[in-house]
Amino acid sequence: MSTTSRRHFLTTAAAASSVVAFGRRAPAILQQAAAGQISNGRILVVVEMAGGNDGLNTVVPFRHDAYRRARPKLAIANDDVLKIEGDLGFHPEMKGFAKLLEAGHLAVIQGVGYPNPNRSHFESMDIWHTCQRKDEVRTDGWLGRYLEQADASKATDPPALHLGEDKQPFALMSRDVRVPSIRSLEEFRLNGNGSQTFKQAIRELSDARRDSGNDLLSFVQSSTSSAISASERIEAAGMSQKSASSYPDNRLAQKLQTISKLIRSGLGTSIYYVQIDGFDTHAQQANVHSVLLRSVSDAVSAFINDMIATQLGDRVLCLCFSEFGRRVQENASEGTDHGTAGPMFLAGTQVKPGLIGKHPDLNDLEDGDVKHHTDFRQVYATVLQRWLHTDAITNVLKDQFKPVDAIRNAVEGSA
Amino acid sequence: MLKAIDPEWAWSTWQPDAETPWDLRAAAHLVRRAGFGATRTELQGLVDAGPTATVDRLLQSSAEPDSYRSEMQSLAAASVATGNPERLSAWWAYRMLTNPAQLLEKQTLFWHGHFATSAAKVADIELMLAQNKLLRKFAFGNFAELLLEISRDPAMLVYLDSASNRKAHPNENYAREIMELFCLGEGNYSEHDIRELARCFTGWEIRNKKFRFNRYQHDNGPKSVLGETGTFGGEDGVRIVVQQPAAAIFIARKLVTFFVMDEPQPTPELLAPLAAELRHNDMQIEPVLRRILTSNVFYSSHSVGRKVRSPVELAIGFLRALEGSTNAYELAAGLQLLGQGLFYPPSVKGWDGGRTWVNSSTLLGRSNLIQQLLTNENTRFGKQSLADYLSACGANSADAVVDLFEDLLFAVRIPTAARERIRTLAGDLKDKARLHDAVHALCTLPEFQLC
Repeated sequence: MSTTSRRHFLTTAAAASSVVAFGRRAPAILQQAAAGQISNGRILVVVEMAGGNDGLNTVVPFRHDAYRRARPKLAIANDDVLKIEGDLGFHPEMKGFAKLLEAGHLAVIQGVGYPNPNRSHFESMDIWHTCQRKDEVRTDGWLGRYLEQADASKATDPPALHLGEDKQPFALMSRDVRVPSIRSLEEFRLNGNGSQTFKQAIRELSDARRDSGNDLLSFVQSSTSSAISASERIEAAGMSQKSASSYPDNRLAQKLQTISKLIRSGLGTSIYYVQIDGFDTHAQQANVHSVLLRSVSDAVSAFINDMIATQLGDRVLCLCFSEFGRRVQENASEGTDHGTAGPMFLAGTQVKPGLIGKHPDLNDLEDGDVKHHTDFRQVYATVLQRWLHTDAITNVLKDQFKPVDAIRNAVEGSA
Repeated sequence: MLKAIDPEWAWSTWQPDAETPWDLRAAAHLVRRAGFGATRTELQGLVDAGPTATVDRLLQSSAEPDSYRSEMQSLAAASVATGNPERLSAWWAYRMLTNPAQLLEKQTLFWHGHFATSAAKVADIELMLAQNKLLRKFAFGNFAELLLEISRDPAMLVYLDSASNRKAHPNENYAREIMELFCLGEGNYSEHDIRELARCFTGWEIRNKKFRFNRYQHDNGPKSVLGETGTFGGEDGVRIVVQQPAAAIFIARKLVTFFVMDEPQPTPELLAPLAAELRHNDMQIEPVLRRILTSNVFYSSHSVGRKVRSPVELAIGFLRALEGSTNAYELAAGLQLLGQGLFYPPSVKGWDGGRTWVNSSTLLGRSNLIQQLLTNENTRFGKQSLADYLSACGANSADAVVDLFEDLLFAVRIPTAARERIRTLAGDLKDKARLHDAVHALCTLPEFQLC
């Protein structure tokens, strides 16, 4: 087989197998295809909105007098909000989320926070990442602990990937599982001088089994072989037909598009982590916040729609969070300061769509902040139990938490 | 599979024989483990000197010439002056690449992984450099003394939050890690011991970047640590911990895993003679290190090719074997990408090593780092191009190139089929791109990942 036709073969084979294996009516094959994956083929994509997102201008209680009084400059006009139900609506730039909700692919969990809220970015972010407070010894994050108990160290593809330039998120850290941070797919590719003979040689050299009685050598050989085929899968995915839905032009969207390529290439990674920074809107909030919300909402909806279009919708769940919300009362700089509770979002075909939990009561504040009624760890518990199907929830979250009803049962999912 | 290793045989002095001679490959194994590799000429010198003399020389910390040391000190000072921790990272990579006292560098790296402290949190490179100096000073010295020094080391105090260890709120972080990760291992202490030991350390602070004992913040009350009771201070605490029987076993285990084999985990029986050696020598590291590096097991199939190269061993080893020099800054950045940033261990647990070095992302990255070294305009081999260097070494055919690499860099022999394939890639060595392809392919082989 010539090199070109071989590559073409790989491409079509990869594309075809993903359709067959992960189509809606093929759950059994899905299990088989996902055997190398710790979560039985289910993928969690975490989107961290860093800086403290203003929840009040994200899911807007537009008819409330208390809202208008607290936000003389920043309140969103009644006619501009994208209605959800009753007196709640999305920020006008969140058209992507509004459409996802309409299609039944978005759950909005309101009033999420934790007791004795900490208003430091670092401390609060660490609390969300580790599920532990400062006075406890924190060495690992909730996702890291999940990976550890799932025995992810045995996986050949990275069990989790962080896409970004920043240091690795605390949430992914653990003692035994190393999660690569990659800045781009360039790093997940074998660089040669471009010659095909070289690449072909490398592939043959790593594919050949070693019968040396040296377990380490066998391990390295199989890992090298799977690394090279994974990178080829990725290259093939890059060559395959363009995504059904086009992605908007923002960095978060580019990262999610990369994740889409990785998933479609058959990479056995279960957890992807991406960040978008800039939500710390102390001054002149309106424009910046609009751009940020549009970025998240457009990027996530493009990603979910892309997954659905490529028959992979049922395998993907996207979770969006921020370390805290912002104060109810706007400040003197047309911005908002650090607050407490806010909404979280779960996106994907397997969510129970709509609003979950009440909007926090603006007439019942504590030190000028809304009170949380749902602990973020309840949402994590939901993801762990209903999506990743682990029974080690208490180990991962360091305590027991009652899941919220935000994800469909497996039976409903395979219908 | 491997039978249980007989401890008495394992740690007896290795006597070369016809079956396992002291030859180039044996010498290459020793310097890959007790250093970062050597050129063919250097190895030939070691073969002539014999194994015992070679280990003796490696264990002399004075093997680092004074001129070299002072040159490195001024380079370090220049790095500190920039305030950029990545400069310090490059400085250490350069040291590993160029220091004639190779085991000193390797053992310092061992302690860095053992007493893992990251510049990411400490954020003061002067303190990081001071800690590195401390680890060097005690590299082959007394472990009990090193443990006390590191407990008062400002970088460590910052890293494990001991600097905020006050009477009213003892911080348990250091007390936990000194027992769990530095000295005893899990299961050899209780939560009560941690709380009590933390009280011993109260009042240990930093003032003007130096350790200071603040008696007003010290808890003078009686404590009971690991079965002993008294109005202990931090020094007592460290002494009590290091006197535990578990301490010698714990250090022996880490040394065996680092120098001898990744797998399997050494049994307590196998470790017992080394632990006894440590105790017998009052926890001095040098004698036990000598015992390990001259032992039967070290030169046996239990050890040779039974470790995964760390990123540092991979990149520095590649360059050292071929008299390579390159841009140290980019080299250090490359190591960081592969998960072994110098001065940036991932957690207080250090680097786990072994299989954790490789996954699909790092395997591609390792191959790419070699490619980057090969194509970097600052990379020279014996001050010339790779083609000229290999030719000067007498490697004038593809076969000779593969032989040279196998002797210097491969603990596990290259399979015949791979050899054929690489010979085809290399061609007649006239084409530089093809030569690079062949070398790159050699260093992407699964065999190359082991040492």
